[in-house]
Amino acid sequence: MDWHFLGWLAVLLYVLAEALSIVSLLGPRASGFAPGLLGAALLLQFVDLQARARALGSVPYRTLAGSMSLFGWMLGVAYLALLFRHRERAIGPFLIPFVILFSAIGLLIPFQPSSPRPETQGVLFALHVTLAILAYAAFTLSFVLSLLYLVQSRQIRRAQTGVLFARLPALEVIGRMNRTAVAIGLWTLLVSVLLGAAWARRVWSGIGDAKLAWALFTLVVYGFLLWKDRRGWEGQRVALLSIAGFVLMIFSYTFVNLYFSQAHTFR
Amino acid sequence: MTAPNDARLVVFGWNFRTAAGAIRERVAFTAEEIQEGLKGLVGRGLVSEGVIVSTCHRSEIYGLVGEEGAGEGLTRFVSEWRGLDPTQLAGAGFHRVGEEAARHLFRVAAGLDSMSLGESEVLGQVRRALLLAREAGATRTVLHRLFEWAVASGKRVRAETEIGMHPLSIPAIGFELAAKVFGDLSSRTILVLGAGETGRLFARHAAEAGVADLRIANRTAERAADAASGVGGRSVPWDSIAEELASADVVVGATASATPVVRRSEVEAAMHRRRGRPIFFLDLAVPCDIEDSVADVYNVYLHRVNDLEEVAEEHRRRRAREVPRAEEILEEELRRFLAWFGNLSVVPTVTDLRHRLSQMRDAELARAPEAERERLREFADALAARLLHEPMRRLKSETDPSKKLDRVEAIRHLFKLDEE
Repeated sequence: MDWHFLGWLAVLLYVLAEALSIVSLLGPRASGFAPGLLGAALLLQFVDLQARARALGSVPYRTLAGSMSLFGWMLGVAYLALLFRHRERAIGPFLIPFVILFSAIGLLIPFQPSSPRPETQGVLFALHVTLAILAYAAFTLSFVLSLLYLVQSRQIRRAQTGVLFARLPALEVIGRMNRTAVAIGLWTLLVSVLLGAAWARRVWSGIGDAKLAWALFTLVVYGFLLWKDRRGWEGQRVALLSIAGFVLMIFSYTFVNLYFSQAHTFR
Repeated sequence: MTAPNDARLVVFGWNFRTAAGAIRERVAFTAEEIQEGLKGLVGRGLVSEGVIVSTCHRSEIYGLVGEEGAGEGLTRFVSEWRGLDPTQLAGAGFHRVGEEAARHLFRVAAGLDSMSLGESEVLGQVRRALLLAREAGATRTVLHRLFEWAVASGKRVRAETEIGMHPLSIPAIGFELAAKVFGDLSSRTILVLGAGETGRLFARHAAEAGVADLRIANRTAERAADAASGVGGRSVPWDSIAEELASADVVVGATASATPVVRRSEVEAAMHRRRGRPIFFLDLAVPCDIEDSVADVYNVYLHRVNDLEEVAEEHRRRRAREVPRAEEILEEELRRFLAWFGNLSVVPTVTDLRHRLSQMRDAELARAPEAERERLREFADALAARLLHEPMRRLKSETDPSKKLDRVEAIRHLFKLDEE
């Protein structure tokens, strides 16, 4: 299972699900196959992640490749959950590309099994990383929803009543989905930060880290967003803030990890 | 369908294209008149089956007739019935026979022949026409099947093309845009300013769409109350518009006021009280009811009647683009209907029935001992010929075309001749 047959098969299914969801977005009728394909792909990817975990002897996100794959997987799960909750399929064509992107990157990055350091073995660490990645997935979902909000709002203002106008949900619905996504991201990130802090105290007896500062900053931005959503900023401002939050998060996920953080490098 | 059987479909009608309003009014029928007319037509033997479709834009008489020249009989009947000059009536009408008559009905039911292309009401009107005719005892096998087929084809066209998708009326377009802000509008508050024709039209549209909280404000309170009672809404005082803005999600301007009735400062104050929740203004008034700068307030959507007229034009073009696909579907359905109708005559039915009997014979013979087959075959053939002789003779000598088709249809059904 060195070259991740199941992982690539999952990516192939994601691509098919994307193609189908584009067809059903533009065509006269919604196709019922896309969610099914997505479900199957998620299952395959899960099995692949399990295989990685066995090879690593620990949770798969100890490597950059593993964390990317897990991120893609969580995003897919989050979307499927949203699909069942809100019955809105029009989001799929815009979100599944992210799932494909991260899952593929996760498979392409060379996989270097190293013997795990003892402190990365515990449940605390596993939960810390899993929740952080789940929060990132939720924020990515919110990012996509916010872009769609801006697009739909522009179409309404200009009275452009084309296919995309017809298929994208109402602003109210996109806004509500965004609220759910941000709330989930916010709470999971908060718990993840607390768990990480607890773990760091135990392992290093100190928690000063650049990543932590960024995470707190991200929390503040999204917290402010949720607070203002009920106080006059509902709509485009919230969408823009959510996009800003996502940019921060990407920065934290990449630059901070690579250059600033001592504790959050992959090794 | 220049009859393999002896019966032909005809349609004789007056619609918005062929006849002036004055004539159309004279040939517009109420439900009772339709039934009375159908009884007359069938009673006098002018048609053996009949259906009358009568709407504001068209009156069409469909019939199944036996011989040539039935059209004149029909015109004479209508001119006597409605007291119109027969030549004038014939000149203002149109007349289709056979396949063309069926095609016409299919196009009507699908909304392709409507004044506003692709509208859906006509589908219900065609269905109602069939029900009325059935109650009057004027339909049997053929027209019943024709009308049901036309309605089903119309539904198929609506489901498979976009011909009925893009709204054409200004209230409907405004409603569609507002629904993309709020989602389901039925639980929202809609405030209509002005109880004139435009305001009432929008209010009726909103009520039909299921909006429960519908408020109407008008400078003269009585007119507001009158308009509100007509649509199950409630009237609100003219002075309270500024306060109403705090709770209304959709505001429709339809007054005859020379100056704007909704000012930016009022909207800003209202937005503060609604905690920034979006508000959708639809200004259908000329001159405008909503001040221009209202559009700059955060989370406010504003559309004016001119913008929406452009949208309506675009929607009309989009519907027109769907016509070729709609016609393809109708032609496919029409071919199937015509195949059914073509089989519905004595000669092919007798042939099919013989074929079916010889199939049964062969199946039975296959189980008989080899040596006896030849003798049994002769016996079976003789029995079948004997059995079929009298029914076939009676079928061929039936003179009423509709009764003949009923019987043919019964034979086709009982012996499963159409299910191979």
